[in-house]
Amino acid sequence: MSRVPGPLVRFLLVALLVAAVAAPLVDAQGVIKLGNLVDLTGPTSDQGKDIAQGRTDAVQYLNERGGVNGKKLELVSVEYGFQPPRAVAAYKKFVEEDKVLLVLGYGTPDTEALRPYITKDKVPYLSGSYSGHLTDPRQTPYNFPGGIDYTSQIRIFFNYVKETWKDGSRAPRVAFIYADNAYGRAPIESGRAYAKEVGVDLVDEEIIPTVLTDATSQLLTMKKKDPDFAYINTNTQWVPVVLKDSYKLGLKTKYVVNNYGLDERTPGLAGPAAEGVIGIQDVAYWGDSVPGMKTLMEFHQKHHPNDVHASPYMRGWLWVIVAAEAIKRAGPTATGESVKNALESFKEFDTWGITPPFTYTNEDHRPTNRARFVMIQNAKIVPMREVSVDRSMKWIGK
Amino acid sequence: MKCGGFRTSYRADERIFDTAVPIVGLVILMAVLAVVPRFATTYWLDVLNRIGIAVIGALGLNILVGYTGQISIGQAAFLAVGAYATAILEANLGLPFYLAIPLAALITSGFGLIFGIPSLRLRGLYLAIATLAAHFITTFVIVHWESMTKGVLGLMVPPALVAGVPLDSDARVFYLIFALVVPAILVTKNLFRTRVGRAFIAIRDRDVAASVMGVNLLRYKLLAFVISSFYAGVAGGLMAHHSRILFPDAFSLLVAIDYLAMIIIGGMGSILGSIFGAVFMTLLPEVLKLTATSLTGVYPQAFGLIASTRDVVFGLAVIFFLMYEPQGLARIWTRIRSYWQLWPYAY
Amino acid sequence: MNEQLVFMLQLVITGIAVGSVYSLMALGFVLIFKASAVVNFGPGELLLFGAYVSWAAILHLKLPLYVALPVTLLAAILLGLVIERGVLRPLIGYPIISVIMVTFGFASVIRGVLNMSWGSDTRPFPVLFSPEPFRLGPVPVSPVHLWSFVTIMVLLAAFSLFFRYSKTGMAMRATADNQQVAQSLGISVKWVFALSWCIASVVSTLAGIILGSVRGGVDFSLADLGLKVFPVVILGGLDSVAGAIIGGVLIGVLENLSGGYLDPLVGGGVKEVAPFVALVLILMVRPHGFFGKVEIERV
Repeated sequence: MSRVPGPLVRFLLVALLVAAVAAPLVDAQGVIKLGNLVDLTGPTSDQGKDIAQGRTDAVQYLNERGGVNGKKLELVSVEYGFQPPRAVAAYKKFVEEDKVLLVLGYGTPDTEALRPYITKDKVPYLSGSYSGHLTDPRQTPYNFPGGIDYTSQIRIFFNYVKETWKDGSRAPRVAFIYADNAYGRAPIESGRAYAKEVGVDLVDEEIIPTVLTDATSQLLTMKKKDPDFAYINTNTQWVPVVLKDSYKLGLKTKYVVNNYGLDERTPGLAGPAAEGVIGIQDVAYWGDSVPGMKTLMEFHQKHHPNDVHASPYMRGWLWVIVAAEAIKRAGPTATGESVKNALESFKEFDTWGITPPFTYTNEDHRPTNRARFVMIQNAKIVPMREVSVDRSMKWIGK
Repeated sequence: MKCGGFRTSYRADERIFDTAVPIVGLVILMAVLAVVPRFATTYWLDVLNRIGIAVIGALGLNILVGYTGQISIGQAAFLAVGAYATAILEANLGLPFYLAIPLAALITSGFGLIFGIPSLRLRGLYLAIATLAAHFITTFVIVHWESMTKGVLGLMVPPALVAGVPLDSDARVFYLIFALVVPAILVTKNLFRTRVGRAFIAIRDRDVAASVMGVNLLRYKLLAFVISSFYAGVAGGLMAHHSRILFPDAFSLLVAIDYLAMIIIGGMGSILGSIFGAVFMTLLPEVLKLTATSLTGVYPQAFGLIASTRDVVFGLAVIFFLMYEPQGLARIWTRIRSYWQLWPYAY
Repeated sequence: MNEQLVFMLQLVITGIAVGSVYSLMALGFVLIFKASAVVNFGPGELLLFGAYVSWAAILHLKLPLYVALPVTLLAAILLGLVIERGVLRPLIGYPIISVIMVTFGFASVIRGVLNMSWGSDTRPFPVLFSPEPFRLGPVPVSPVHLWSFVTIMVLLAAFSLFFRYSKTGMAMRATADNQQVAQSLGISVKWVFALSWCIASVVSTLAGIILGSVRGGVDFSLADLGLKVFPVVILGGLDSVAGAIIGGVLIGVLENLSGGYLDPLVGGGVKEVAPFVALVLILMVRPHGFFGKVEIERV
């Protein structure tokens, strides 16, 4: 039994087909294309939405002011659900069809997977992944992490442990809690090595799935080893589960969370379980008093005042600002290579105050070694102090 | 004009194609395929490559599900085994691709044999659930057997070497893929002229009756799994060479569902259906992406909205086909063809 | 050793608590299967629907709780009706693979529509339960889990009575047994199907609300939990209410025990895969589960 679809359905199908075919024909002249990878439907979609919005807004803002080098910026956006194969396919399209000048990347698994292609194609890749594996220009000359790398962050954690540990009778005990994917894993090996170097006792490592509902059994296992401190390396969506379960079990461990794990939303998501938890802040929070915040907030007010934004939104703006500046420095005849060189000329570049100033060199693609500790107190995020770690070349690329 | 299957000799009966038309069509198609990489962009070559891989995978799945009636949600697991086996054989043992891919496919068949054992005791729904479980178990093994598969960090695949030329671009891999697609189609077509193929169809239609007729259910059900997973193993091996880096994510449950959608939308129990389904499912996200990208150029704020349409469109397509055309695109095609052939007559 | 015992006890009790949420999800699944022999391969999306609608009602539209809850349940009922009417009714009598694929299909549609309407960022879930743990001896349990356990016990009792003694319940069982005979006896099969989907939707919504509370936020990954339903219903039997409830708890305990004891050996992940290994084992040994009807054809 089969029925022929009604006329409305057929019309819609045809319309869709026509739109799809006609679309590529509409091509503007004098446009600088930027590849844009985002996750809007996968496990990091909570960040992805704000990041995508931030990038879109920043581009629109710059275009309203004449664009870069007299040309408008255009985002060629692909939603890839945090699935590396789709990212690889999108990248190929960016490079071959769209001939983008630079790619605004996203996640660690896909960015790391694309490394050989990026180097071969000479396409500067500004990623949302801050993996230490992307920081060595000798291995990945075209990869530029868009913020303080995870390895530096974990070193900051260990330095903090050493500083605050007052008991002389034994070494402090430390545990890692990290997500079971390339992003969660990124700094762990270096973390282990650094633990040995500074004389901290790494007693336990707990792996949590990418999508987490209940961490009780992992935390119970960790409890047996009784760590004094623990470093959490996963996303903002999942950290509250760890914190809440830890609270329920009455664990005394002090937690430090990486930059992507704690932001303005955490107090609301985790409730009292988040009290006393420390986060590493890499980018300004919404409403922070930094010079650029006024611009962002005005734009937001003008275009979508009803939305709520958290730090991923600022990151979206940040990366576009960095990309635009690099393209501007490369001049009207910019190529992938000249944009890369332009990026490497960044010396204490002011990112509108959204982050500490960025410095990329041709030996070191770590944009900054400074961040800030924040602590959640009384259900609010309270800034503590600035932290930094030395730019030791020993840890580059790891 | 042909009317029915009128054959006057045993020779004629044995032929795959009754007239010269399909053969000529195939030859022209192969000539076109040989030339395509010269003109197409990497993007479209990538799409075509993925279509080719999907065709092989869909053919395999159709053999199992469409022709033999065994429900399997395990296609992603088979592809994964084929892909990782190929990569490991080449990277660790240094085997050339023309040995690695068949060997990997054989390993996958062995895997399929194990998968197939529950089918002897379970029917329909329960078999589906068993294959679902097997999928998760396979994924777990792949993710955690890091010494072999590098787990979530990704396994790099060395390019295949053909007479010293590395197949490291989409244009080159294209030839490898389509060199296997064409025989895959021919082999499948041939399969269903043999007694094995007919046994499969008998099992699908009514297995108790088939068993009464002398079809050894144990043997043929397992054979269906074995053959089907061999195809999937080949497809997996090609995937390894196409993407050159393997992640467990690439073999998620969604992939298995996509393949099932391919054969349902394309047409179960039909070779042409497998091909149509593979093309449709691979092109659908691309068409949506193109629409999204062009609309975003005009109206940037809409990007988020459009991104989620993929799920909606996919779901609606599946529902639509199941309700209005359960025999899939293949049936629509046959109807168009017979309309064309028989016009102005109705039948 | 006392410490070991406490450790195991903690795992078991957590398992029961977490498992009670699985039981709720499985209940929805079983209800549909029991009445219409349809297998819903998208249980996660129903959960998602429940979680999002309740979030929207409470935080977005700022409705007070006693209005928001009925509104959410009403929405769930509507969804159930839409699915049954629009999608499953036309497919009565079609081969099972079509029905399975259709459930995948509308699961996808629900997810897409939710994403389009409310976006994919994590929304903090309204705090309905206190975060202070409740102590059961040496073991702390969160109130959310306690409530979910209580809920399923209540539902277990309610549904057992319903199916055993009420006319509608018996009508549903009759329909599942043999649609034609049921129809010939005057039972409106259409109503039975619609009712079963509505109840299932409501139950899934409750599960979604509970999961939202446990997580602290709603987001799309809630749907992935839906697949955990399968080990539960295979263990308990596809058409047994008691089986769903007991199965859910058992799977929760199994998960936590394997997580606590095996994860450290393998490096994680065993917790997620253990239910599926159990599924395969049970299918091999006792496919109809521990409480289901013996109906699988042997070859």
